[in-house]
Amino acid sequence: MEHHVDERKSACATGANQGGSVSHLLPKEIQQQIERHPCYSKQAHQYARMHLPVAPACNIQCNYCNRKYDCSNESRPGVVSHLVDPHGALKQFRAIKKRAPNLTVVGIAGPGDALANPKATFSALKLIREADPTAQLCISTNGLMLAEYASELAAHGVHHLTITINTIDPHVAAKIYPWVYYDHQRLRGLAAAERLISNQLAGLEAAAKLGMLVKVNTVLIPGINDQHIAALSDAVKARGALLHNIMPLISAAEHGTYFGMTGQRGPTEAELTNARNASGQFMAQMTHCQQCRADAVGTLGGCGSEASDDTPATADKLVRVAVATNGEPLLSTHFGHARQFEIYQFDQASGQFYLLERRQVAQYCSGASECPEEENDKQALFNTISDCQIVLSARIGISPWRTLEQMGVTPNVDFAYQAISDALQRLARQQQPSQPQESNDEVCHY
Amino acid sequence: MKYAITEQCVGCHACALVCPNNAVFADPDKPQQFMIHPRRCTGCENQYDTPQCATICPVETAIVDELMIAVNPIGSLTGIVPLHVGRAQ
Repeated sequence: MEHHVDERKSACATGANQGGSVSHLLPKEIQQQIERHPCYSKQAHQYARMHLPVAPACNIQCNYCNRKYDCSNESRPGVVSHLVDPHGALKQFRAIKKRAPNLTVVGIAGPGDALANPKATFSALKLIREADPTAQLCISTNGLMLAEYASELAAHGVHHLTITINTIDPHVAAKIYPWVYYDHQRLRGLAAAERLISNQLAGLEAAAKLGMLVKVNTVLIPGINDQHIAALSDAVKARGALLHNIMPLISAAEHGTYFGMTGQRGPTEAELTNARNASGQFMAQMTHCQQCRADAVGTLGGCGSEASDDTPATADKLVRVAVATNGEPLLSTHFGHARQFEIYQFDQASGQFYLLERRQVAQYCSGASECPEEENDKQALFNTISDCQIVLSARIGISPWRTLEQMGVTPNVDFAYQAISDALQRLARQQQPSQPQESNDEVCHY
Repeated sequence: MKYAITEQCVGCHACALVCPNNAVFADPDKPQQFMIHPRRCTGCENQYDTPQCATICPVETAIVDELMIAVNPIGSLTGIVPLHVGRAQ
């Protein structure tokens, strides 16, 4: 978790140098198409996105990924707590949409590869589109099967597409991908690398020709692909990519990835900036990526979730409410039994609460090895919501009640067994400011 | 029975999606664990050069043959070889 927070801060810091680097480089109609998509536009941070974890299988191995790992302590791509089938995904979407009108983007990002699970991916896309024709659908893929499915994606209404391309040099790729599964064979070494790169570039070109907005994600790995970024950027730009998102390698040893086990370090802040500058000669850069999980829900953090640090002036008014929930639409979860909290943030302009994110309690344990300890479990509960002003639950014991009050979080059981959306509306009405407050947006230019 | 899935399985569904004989299914008793139907599995003989489940499986030692020998032994997929295995070879 600590690691994650660091990245968030570094993303903000880099953003400060580059200002609104993305938008002014893009044609106006494209700016309009991405302005409500938080994974494309930094200015879209008030819009929420939801990743549907319907795609478990993968068809390649990356050296920064460990398929065995599934722990809610982790926060990084490829990690997900509960898989759902397409109908389960639709149910989740409907439940979240009811309470989060700012949910504009629905994507499939794994935990494997969206296009290695074509049936589940297309079926989920179809169900979501029928339920909400205004939802912006997107997928992310390693690109191996993209050329094959590009037109089917377009036919399903997918308009935003992210391809992870780490290099266009097969000798570099061979150090990143030990194997790929293609055409019923497991390819290794250079054969695997060449196949993957040629499919990625062909897929990118096909998707761009179909009018999709293509973002390229690159994991920056010092000593492996960091000297090849300009060539990569030039090549993907030529094939129609719109945006480049260069992300730092996550390689903690405890994740058990090849890079983690072999001591491959992640890039320094300076290396990351150099790479983004190298790519910036060719393409608009995205610098606010949070490297989120395949089941992430909520806004993209960034400024929104940093607000507590940046806005001392508004510290004494309510901004955030935590709702104890195990997935039910009613407020029926006992505080001590909550496995997750939905965090809502009050928006002055609209006078409504918006879903900021869903937090898994287990994610807030002080350390993976200490998680099973009962004391740590309790502490994790409190840590999860320490930045909120009110916590809603159906019931709560007197001892946690006191602890929360000492932390400055007010427990509230007034809405027990009522609909969460109704409770939030009632709270929102109580928040109407008596005097005009500074808009949240004004502190969000970074 | 040609091939079987061991407890190393992480339930990623990849084998189930590529099996040409619909022989792979989720273990109803154990979450995140798949099984191969012993009569449906043909080992992909006369269909493909290699058994498809073991060709896509990302987890070493998760698929074994009739002699219980791992099709993808330790180190063969991830390149991560534990020290004691390295010494034994």
